[in-house]
Amino acid sequence: MLRFWKKRIKTGVITENLEFDRGLEEIKKEIKDKIKRYFAGSLAIRMVDSGSCNACEAECNALSNPYYDLQRLGIHFVASPRHADVLLLSGVMTFNMYHHVWDAYNQMPSPKWVITLGDCPYNLSVFEKTYAIKGVDLPVDFHIPGCPPNPENIIKGFLEFLKGFEK
Amino acid sequence: MRLIARFALEKKEKFEIIDVFDKEIKRTQIDKKTPFIKSIAHKYPAAIWMERKIKDEFGIDFEGCFDKRPAVKHERFPKDIYPLRKDFNKQEIDFCEFKPYSYEEIKGEGIFTVPVGPIHAGIIEPGHFHFSQAGEEILHLEVRHFYKYRGLEKMVEGKNPFEIQKIISRISGNESIAYQKAFFDILAKASCVEIPENLKRKQAILLEIERIIHHLTDLGFIPNDAGFAPALAFMSKLSEEARRVFYKLTGHRFAFDALKEEIFIDNKLLDEFLPYLKKEVEFFKNWINDIPSLWDRMDTTGCLSRKKALKYGVVGVAARASGIAIDVRDDDFYKNYGFKMQLGVKGEVADRFKLRIEEIFNSIEMINNLKTQENENFALGEIKDGEYMSFTESSIGELFMYLKIMEGKVERFFVRDPSFVNWQAFHTTIYKDIIADFPLINKSFDLSYAGNDL
Repeated sequence: MLRFWKKRIKTGVITENLEFDRGLEEIKKEIKDKIKRYFAGSLAIRMVDSGSCNACEAECNALSNPYYDLQRLGIHFVASPRHADVLLLSGVMTFNMYHHVWDAYNQMPSPKWVITLGDCPYNLSVFEKTYAIKGVDLPVDFHIPGCPPNPENIIKGFLEFLKGFEK
Repeated sequence: MRLIARFALEKKEKFEIIDVFDKEIKRTQIDKKTPFIKSIAHKYPAAIWMERKIKDEFGIDFEGCFDKRPAVKHERFPKDIYPLRKDFNKQEIDFCEFKPYSYEEIKGEGIFTVPVGPIHAGIIEPGHFHFSQAGEEILHLEVRHFYKYRGLEKMVEGKNPFEIQKIISRISGNESIAYQKAFFDILAKASCVEIPENLKRKQAILLEIERIIHHLTDLGFIPNDAGFAPALAFMSKLSEEARRVFYKLTGHRFAFDALKEEIFIDNKLLDEFLPYLKKEVEFFKNWINDIPSLWDRMDTTGCLSRKKALKYGVVGVAARASGIAIDVRDDDFYKNYGFKMQLGVKGEVADRFKLRIEEIFNSIEMINNLKTQENENFALGEIKDGEYMSFTESSIGELFMYLKIMEGKVERFFVRDPSFVNWQAFHTTIYKDIIADFPLINKSFDLSYAGNDL
């Protein structure tokens, strides 16, 4: 274990100072009251896969790695839809997932928002409509494009979504 | 003999069932009016899901089969349609009345069931795990899938093979290169051209990087599921770095659409990254070796016995960790560039964990040998009608792909993801364990849901 701490100290903090980090600081000032009112200082996200290829999930997992460490922005992923403000939806919405996704959505307390992640829920990406695909008919508030969107673009997307509350 | 796949296709007069074994291929023609065939699930248990899928999609009955429940047709799916038959061409179907699925459950005093999923607590794909519990001990587990069933086999039918490359690329995000490679091999066979050595080497490099990233991610998540979070911090950092290298090499973090007729690989980038990667993984290996409480969780947990693995025809990491020497890369091409079969002993979580570390080292060595500066002129020619098959070793295991082309169009596309057989053997590994071990065991296999469900 000592070896690990030696390495840990040598490595230091690697979390990136991305350009948009400063952007967040500015937005924070402007929308602090609104975040406080709507999200109690933290935005809880429940991610649901409705039939993706798993790349969007991998990129969402990457958001927790030391480079991005999303939690420091006050945005975190929760286990239950009942604890969530936002449903983050990936995938094409298959016939077999349709009712489960709606179940998750209905379990969320209002006010609630839906963000679609990646091209699949938006326009099926490269896929085409088949009998086994239903498509998304949830009330979508925001869309983060990409196939899959990389972690940086997902964070930017979250910020854009938050900006919407300024209006 | 090992069963690789059992699937059906429709011809003008008959249905055909194709059984692909490692030593032979059997074809059986069956009548369209009363389609039925003998079940082989008694001898090859991995055929159970294959037969259930065929029954759902083609309406072919299996004589003597003991599991008649639907697989891809879930509770609200209309039972009287057979979507993979040629006369079915609807793009929209309506929900039917909810008909409950009868799960395999153990009943008795004090026995209770724990249904988990399809939506899980973490950020993972949907699937259902149905536990019968006696206290903490697992008595039985049924794995139920096909929540992500997108109807891909039908989606690509009637299209030009070149048109569907983008779809193939996105069947399973973690195995994208493997799918692309399997399909590229088929296209090369169909256009009667030989893939030149240098291109083959570059394709192999990308496939090995994909494998490394997959292994790195797992090496972080496995200890994390045993409550050892520093390993996840360490490995998720490393896998992010590897993914960025992947991005620089291919222009995409998952290398979607990267396998083209011409590939450029920046060897300098590899020369910088690989020694660093090797050093970091060596550090990780030594560090983890010194943490007995972690091995306490990983040893003796989730044992896939060699006998069961053979019976189910398990492939890939899971099979090798149980001591079965099976790997598509076990050929002259790969051996020439330093492929060494890595084998585990007991098939426990610890074996799969150690195996992943050793495979990373072997992949690094192979990439170093595979690097090449040279290019040949190469182009895929005109596609000829016919039936083509190919095998690729994805980061999970042996991937089998089948394509039938008629009049230049896809007549039937079938793919058997390594997960499809491994998922079926999965339940055999949990009988000595408690339910809290399940996430750990699940992650040590790290199977694909998207590739399984199609």
